[in-house]
Amino acid sequence: MTHEEYKELMSIGALAALESAEARSLAAHLESCPECRSEMGVWENAAALLAFDASPLAPSSQVRERILSAVRAEKGQTIAKQTSPAVVDDRKQMQRLGNSTVVPFERPPKTVWTTIRSYYAVAASVGLVALAISLFVIWQQNRAARAELARVTSEKSEAQQQLAHEREVLALITSPGTRMTELAGTNVAPDAHAMIAYDKTGRAMLMAKGLPAAPAGKAYQLWFIMGNKPMPGRVLTPDTQGNGSLQDQVPAEAMNGAVFAITLEPASGVQSPTGAIYLSSGA
Amino acid sequence: MSGVQTEQISDVELLHAIASGDEGALARLYDQYRVILFGLLVRILSSREEAEDVLQEVFLQVWRRAADFDETRGKPFTWLVTLTRSRAIDRLRQLGARQRLATSAAQDQTEEASDALKETFRSEQREIVKGALAGLPKEQRYALHLAYFEGLTQSEIAAKLDAPLGTVKTRMRAAMTKLRTVLGNQLETLG
Repeated sequence: MTHEEYKELMSIGALAALESAEARSLAAHLESCPECRSEMGVWENAAALLAFDASPLAPSSQVRERILSAVRAEKGQTIAKQTSPAVVDDRKQMQRLGNSTVVPFERPPKTVWTTIRSYYAVAASVGLVALAISLFVIWQQNRAARAELARVTSEKSEAQQQLAHEREVLALITSPGTRMTELAGTNVAPDAHAMIAYDKTGRAMLMAKGLPAAPAGKAYQLWFIMGNKPMPGRVLTPDTQGNGSLQDQVPAEAMNGAVFAITLEPASGVQSPTGAIYLSSGA
Repeated sequence: MSGVQTEQISDVELLHAIASGDEGALARLYDQYRVILFGLLVRILSSREEAEDVLQEVFLQVWRRAADFDETRGKPFTWLVTLTRSRAIDRLRQLGARQRLATSAAQDQTEEASDALKETFRSEQREIVKGALAGLPKEQRYALHLAYFEGLTQSEIAAKLDAPLGTVKTRMRAAMTKLRTVLGNQLETLG
């Protein structure tokens, strides 16, 4: 890869959105190229500013306490490791002291009481290990419970969305004056069919079944056709079973006698139909 | 401008102090950036609980790795945000896509920082960034959003948008170039 090609990667690299191979390659290049490193720094600063797009929120005060407690505990361990005679055996201590005249303290002689104290220490250690294991198990159970809760919440949210959609469909089709028109599949999609319901205000809902999967970059677009004049509607992308629905507004001039049709178009939609007709209410 | 420079030096000095084991410096750095970093974490993880957990991890990592910070290679703010985002996206991937679906409810429950906190927060920078993002075409803004807040790679974004990879790369580069131009002055004020 050339120097210029690496430069091309930088803006996306700053978002951490490169594929891993490209990211590794860029990282290796940055190690050896001060110019690119400096350039990458500017991109990373720009990317960091995007954090300001998130709403500022205050964490609970316990977080600060937890961080500082953990830091103090780490500090304590470090100091203990550095100073505890238990972690430095006599031989190493002597080596460290070299020719110094300082003589290490002798260990006190072992007695029945020191032996008992040792047993207590071992028992306490075992107890602590057991406690740590219990806490770990509880922590894992807590995480699993939280994951399950997230899953249930997700399913509930999906079910609520589905229910809201169905209620909306029901409200529309039971509304006085709502008209329903069937769209039949054409020879390019003989198994497809759809129904469009729209009320007096033009509020419309289309439900389609059996549509072939749309190719990449394409989607199905609804059309309201009066005479020879097609008026564009919204686009829909069917699911893997070929089912899809959309809400739209029937134009006022298409409220009486329009033909409804579905064509395959670019995913962003177009102003005039360009693709094949898949569904149509026309005879 | 001089005030801003003082702040920059202060952040670098704080990181040096942290590297030498000064927990007070860590507390000061935390107080200075907790609001923006926690906001970013909640936006990515959509859960206050997970965000607090990751915020704690981030500052413990700052404590352990402050000596790795190299002021010749970046600004403290960028280092902190990069560390935070990286941890958040790792957590997001651990939690899986399912968690992302449960996000809207969680987002509704999050509370914004109090007015007092907002005053101390760099609201001016925030408005400028929001303005710069609002000036981008919708498809560029969405591609940036998917990368930055959902942690998707360019290929994953292309698949999600059902768009060619080349198109996605072009959108992302164009968006970043515009942001870099518009936010040029802000880059100088980063702590």
